[in-house]
Amino acid sequence: MKLAVVVQRYGKAINGGAELHARYIAEHLAKHAEVEVLTTCASDYVTWRNELTPGVEQVNGVTVRRFRVKHERDPRVFGQRSVRVFDHAHSLADELAWLDAEGPASPALIAHLQKHGERYDYCFFFSYRYYHAYHGARAVPARAILVPTAERDAAIGVSIFAPVLRGVRALMYNSHEERAMINAASGNEDVPGVVVGIGSDVPQNPQPARFRQKFGIRDPFAIYVGRIDENKGCKELFEFFSGYLRDTPGRMSLVLVGHSLLDVPSHPRIKHLGFLDDTDKFDAMATADVLIMPSYFESLSMVALEAWALGRPVLANAKCDVLKGQCIRSNAGLYYETYAEFTESLVAIERNRWLSGALGRNGRQFFREHYDWSVIERKYLEMLDRLSKDTKSAARTIPPLPGWFARRKADLPPAAEVLAGLPTARSPAKGRA
Amino acid sequence: MPDFNVRSDSVNVEQIMEQIRARIRDKRGVDYTEQQLREMAAVKLEKFLDPRGVRSDLLEQFKRHQPAYEPPVLPSFTFEDTTIYETPRGLLRTIRKLLNPILKLFFNPNPIIHVLHTQADLNAVNLLREAAREKQRMEIDALYYEVIHNLVFEMTRLGIDTKNVKMRVESIASRLEFNERRARALESVVAYREPDESEGERRPEAPPVQAPRPQPFSRPQNNQGGWTPPPAPQPAQAVGESIATSGSVPYSGASTPGTPGIPGGQPASGAGQPGSQGPQGPEGPGQRSRRRRRRRGRRGGGAPAAVVMGAPGSTGSTETAPQSADAAFPAEARSDAPAASNEPERAPESSGPDNDTDPQ
Repeated sequence: MKLAVVVQRYGKAINGGAELHARYIAEHLAKHAEVEVLTTCASDYVTWRNELTPGVEQVNGVTVRRFRVKHERDPRVFGQRSVRVFDHAHSLADELAWLDAEGPASPALIAHLQKHGERYDYCFFFSYRYYHAYHGARAVPARAILVPTAERDAAIGVSIFAPVLRGVRALMYNSHEERAMINAASGNEDVPGVVVGIGSDVPQNPQPARFRQKFGIRDPFAIYVGRIDENKGCKELFEFFSGYLRDTPGRMSLVLVGHSLLDVPSHPRIKHLGFLDDTDKFDAMATADVLIMPSYFESLSMVALEAWALGRPVLANAKCDVLKGQCIRSNAGLYYETYAEFTESLVAIERNRWLSGALGRNGRQFFREHYDWSVIERKYLEMLDRLSKDTKSAARTIPPLPGWFARRKADLPPAAEVLAGLPTARSPAKGRA
Repeated sequence: MPDFNVRSDSVNVEQIMEQIRARIRDKRGVDYTEQQLREMAAVKLEKFLDPRGVRSDLLEQFKRHQPAYEPPVLPSFTFEDTTIYETPRGLLRTIRKLLNPILKLFFNPNPIIHVLHTQADLNAVNLLREAAREKQRMEIDALYYEVIHNLVFEMTRLGIDTKNVKMRVESIASRLEFNERRARALESVVAYREPDESEGERRPEAPPVQAPRPQPFSRPQNNQGGWTPPPAPQPAQAVGESIATSGSVPYSGASTPGTPGIPGGQPASGAGQPGSQGPQGPEGPGQRSRRRRRRRGRRGGGAPAAVVMGAPGSTGSTETAPQSADAAFPAEARSDAPAASNEPERAPESSGPDNDTDPQ
């Protein structure tokens, strides 16, 4: 069996959520099938500038075929088109223009799929919202398996995606909340799908003492791992944690790991360690008393899963229904919506060792049951097996785009309005992934 | 602080969050989200504020009406010495140059050119300055609106906080009032027995007092008819003092008017109060039999011990000392457990100074 993994960026040094997800899946599926990665020459997700060499190379034993991006992203144009599509009534042509402006526009990659798509039994497209996934799935719908990595943002309300979500062979969801949202947005309940998620290569014996010695951190601390960005909820995290330092007698510090796009508050109990390699990162997470996930939009938090794998509780932003749902299903994390809830939850975890220990143990169990690589691989292989037997879904097609005039009829509702109309997913039964 | 019932692995995150929210509600009253605060701010302002004054949706209004700043396109006012002769046609320009001396025969254009040139420079400088001011003004406007909006928002938050604090103050005031009433009630049930000669005669076995003992609720010397409440103690002290007095009060009623607080020929131990016997010395003669009679009276259909003792009814005395002594503090505070079952029936009777008289 030959599989293609199609993703917007790919490489050892590329640590974006969906990109890392794609790399892990490609490397693990390579044990069971011949895998080829189709991607672009871009490494910067803001500009999509061609920085890597086009052609074929090997990354961790997986063949990677890179294609050039036709044009870089112009933030001004992309911003204008986003406003047009998200906030105003617009046309199909506006949405296609928005998709092109978003990038990474690589017609060469799409042409390769159109020309050589039959070489692959199945093509996994990562991140539904990008150019490569939309046009790639339309190029080979009978082989397309979509890993949408959809967050609850306005892009899900863009109407061009619904036919693609209904027309692919299967979808590999990251969470039940994501599945419910996509089903509501596109009406694709009859498309085969499974909630899979992603595993993680967490070391078996992290060294907390090594971390404490190396970074000179003695106190109990909460940790945040990821890009320190307002979009990730870090501004709110800083406000809430400053309040915790001011209003409670707690001893917890906050340790930040990752590149910062925000000013980190200057406080002796807020420490920014910058980007750490995996060894230090896992040591830090194993040392921490709790991992804080302040993000509003996540399709799946790998960091939260890693914390659970290490037996650490998680304190998540309840405004992100995926994180909240996972906390509830796993019984391994608390969640907050307001400052008071943040403080009380943090104090509860800090002061109640029984609670902290029980949450951590539940998290470890939850990870082992649902996110161990053997489980993930099995779910992927079962889906491939199911599709190979399912001749009905093989005939699935994606309807062509309407004509020139119909595409320019500005009768589509604002995407943000569509999103607002989508129901908030209810958390399914406990114990599920 | 948080003390959750988490003693096993079977934690339920939703239940814990409920506990946390309940704790927050207990601490702060109703906890509003930012969104709720914003909605309330809008509603409150619409309802109470002058619509011509501050508006609740200031920032939205401002953003709607305020166009994005665009630097103005400045017209070119350059004026050089060649400007008046300029033309795209080369032949015409040549003719003008040839005829220029003839023009200068009629007037001198140089001062005009100079003035216009200077004026063009001034205009350009002024336009640049004006554009900079406009930009600055728009930035300040944005900040101003932001500040006003935040002020309105914070005003709303403060209003809600004030309301919550008021409610808490009212709650505390009502509790204080209740405690004061309770303290007064506790003070009022302490009764003092009038000196009764006949009773004194009926107790020949009572030994004389060995030494004076402090009586917290002793009656003033010249108060013969009723009794004056003692100084109001703190609630906690009141209970303690009631306990300390519970055994001695009936006997203090037997003290002579001239020796307030000194039991008239009776030992000061708490009759039937195990806890009170120690510090007040051993039981005196006759006390044990009296206590036995009182208990018998309680067991025998709830007749007040005082009746059995003959204090109020049988002797015609106006005192109800034993009743008052039992009712002086709550049942759970008393150490005489068997008596507790009769307490609710008798407590109301001895709730005020008026009940010092015979309840029957």
